[in-house]
Amino acid sequence: MTMAMADRLTAGLLFLLGLALLVGGYTMDRLEIRQIHPASIPGLVPIILGLLLALCAALLFLSSFKTDDQRRALVLADGSWARLGLTAAICTLYALGLVGWLPYFWATFVFATCFALLFSFPPAGARRAQVIAVLAALALGAGVALGSSLLFEKLFLVRLP
Amino acid sequence: MSGLGDLITGLGTLATPEMLFHAAWATLLGIVVGSLPGLTATMGVALMTTLTYSLESTTAILVLVCMYVGAIYGGSRSAILLNIPGTPASAATSLDGYPLAKAGRAGYAMGLATAGSALGTLAGVVMLVLVAPPLAEAALNFGSFEFFWLAVFGILISGQLTADTSPLKGYIAGLLGLAVAMIGSEGIHAHVRFNMGLQDLNAGIALIPAMVGAFGFAEVLTAMWNRAGELAVKKDKSDRTIPDLVDLWRYKLTIARSGLIGTLVGIIPGVGEDIGAWASYAAARKTSKEKEKFGHGSHEGLIAAETGNSAVVPGSLIPAITLAVPGSASSAVLIAALFIHGIRPGPLIMIEQPDFIGLISAMVVIATLFMAFYGLTLTKAFVQVLKVPYAYLMPVVFVLCVIGTFALSQRIFDIWIMVFFGLVGFVLRQMKYPMAPLVLGIILGDLLDKSLRRGLTLSDGELAPFFTRPVSAGFVALILLSIAMNVPVVRRLALAPVRWIGARLDA
Repeated sequence: MTMAMADRLTAGLLFLLGLALLVGGYTMDRLEIRQIHPASIPGLVPIILGLLLALCAALLFLSSFKTDDQRRALVLADGSWARLGLTAAICTLYALGLVGWLPYFWATFVFATCFALLFSFPPAGARRAQVIAVLAALALGAGVALGSSLLFEKLFLVRLP
Repeated sequence: MSGLGDLITGLGTLATPEMLFHAAWATLLGIVVGSLPGLTATMGVALMTTLTYSLESTTAILVLVCMYVGAIYGGSRSAILLNIPGTPASAATSLDGYPLAKAGRAGYAMGLATAGSALGTLAGVVMLVLVAPPLAEAALNFGSFEFFWLAVFGILISGQLTADTSPLKGYIAGLLGLAVAMIGSEGIHAHVRFNMGLQDLNAGIALIPAMVGAFGFAEVLTAMWNRAGELAVKKDKSDRTIPDLVDLWRYKLTIARSGLIGTLVGIIPGVGEDIGAWASYAAARKTSKEKEKFGHGSHEGLIAAETGNSAVVPGSLIPAITLAVPGSASSAVLIAALFIHGIRPGPLIMIEQPDFIGLISAMVVIATLFMAFYGLTLTKAFVQVLKVPYAYLMPVVFVLCVIGTFALSQRIFDIWIMVFFGLVGFVLRQMKYPMAPLVLGIILGDLLDKSLRRGLTLSDGELAPFFTRPVSAGFVALILLSIAMNVPVVRRLALAPVRWIGARLDA
């Protein structure tokens, strides 16, 4: 996707967000029952922000039609989708799923070991290299899980999730 | 000269074995964090905030300052050796540092970078102790009207100067940050806004989880996304590392100018070390007698870039301590950390803790001394650090992002916030939206909101005081000028006198 197209899509989303802020601020409770000064209503700044965000979104949309190198440049094109997808998936799974479901030590051990294995295991490599990669990943997982558990639980007195 | 007296008193306070021990490991860790491409100073300070919250306040702040100073300097290691800036602040360093390394003078380049960084930081510290106390006293006269415009100016100028492509994206990032700050209980009537039915949002979105996400998780994703994620390993041909004093003396004007530029850039809200380095580099190149050497291993260019980025560190502390307006993204985290440790940055700092400016300046000086020591002695050890593969480094970083975020208030919800900001932060970065204005918006949102509504209440709904009070009028003029400078015709007209003077000087 080109930057121009990405800007147009973002402009649409930002415009909607601006409208939401505007409407949310306008319909917000004005606390008349507490007899506050009308100029200090809680929705005032969200209304202003909503207007400004919608205005900036409109300007972004208009500027996306300029034909220059910036707008022709590709977005999310110069990296590895596989590495990004795997990283995002495994990190999100760990943070939102494993932590709180498994005891912290085991959640962290599983995460760190899997992460290291995913990105360091040589599928086409020699058996020796594969064994070293597995052992290194296991050692990393155990080290990170144990080290961070001890640091936070024993030293900082945090009740781990 | 009471500022310098406070600095000496601060040095006396910190000259204990325990404090020096903490400074030693924190600076070393900072250099390691900064030298690893993918880990930035802001991320280091944010993670360290979560790791030091149980320490005594002076010790915790010392650790954070040492991490900040060390990380900004550490970026020069990989910039020189691998042509990959460890932090964005070191991008200008690689222009001349890497050619020097290719010519087999990596050690000398690192020595020059170390000297430049140390001198730049010390120049900034002098400005910090001299400028911060009178600025804090002047800010005591600020009312709601002035603070409103200060917040607007901070976000606007940060958006304008940190945007890669168009200032519009910087402004949008700032507005998004302000919108985030609107979530939760507001500061005047304690009315809960935009909590979307979630009780956890009643207190708003805490800064540290948001920053750990935007600078920690987003950087993990960026590092794994980049094809250049695997570190290139270049054979180290380190020669001597102690720079010639003659070399440093020859560039004394460049060092002084870069120190001044870096400090001034640091004072501008939300404009970080990378801009300080580029501005110093550009100024040095413009006035150099050896322009042709820039980009091909110029000692002067390397010194200018490193002096410039390091001077931003103390410079950014000036508005952070006196106005609670961060001069850079890293100092935004420092402000949050100061609040955690019971220190209230802002104009009242000179009344509540009059010795704090001297104390934090002393922390910067101690960090600089350790930085210089490590920089000149551990050159070869740092080369080894750069070889750590991302497959082993990034899970460690992410685990610290998760558990550090949780540890602050022991809420699983904060981990969700961190992940959300990490994912959104990654996408925004890819689309060239700067993160500094976003963070500044989150920090200044409350100040802006309260100042506007309180000001309007004081003036009984009248807008006039926002424009007629002298300081407010000055801010309004600056804001209008900043926006108008985006129009090419206005920019040409405004810069015409500067160009004319420049042409006369050249002639």
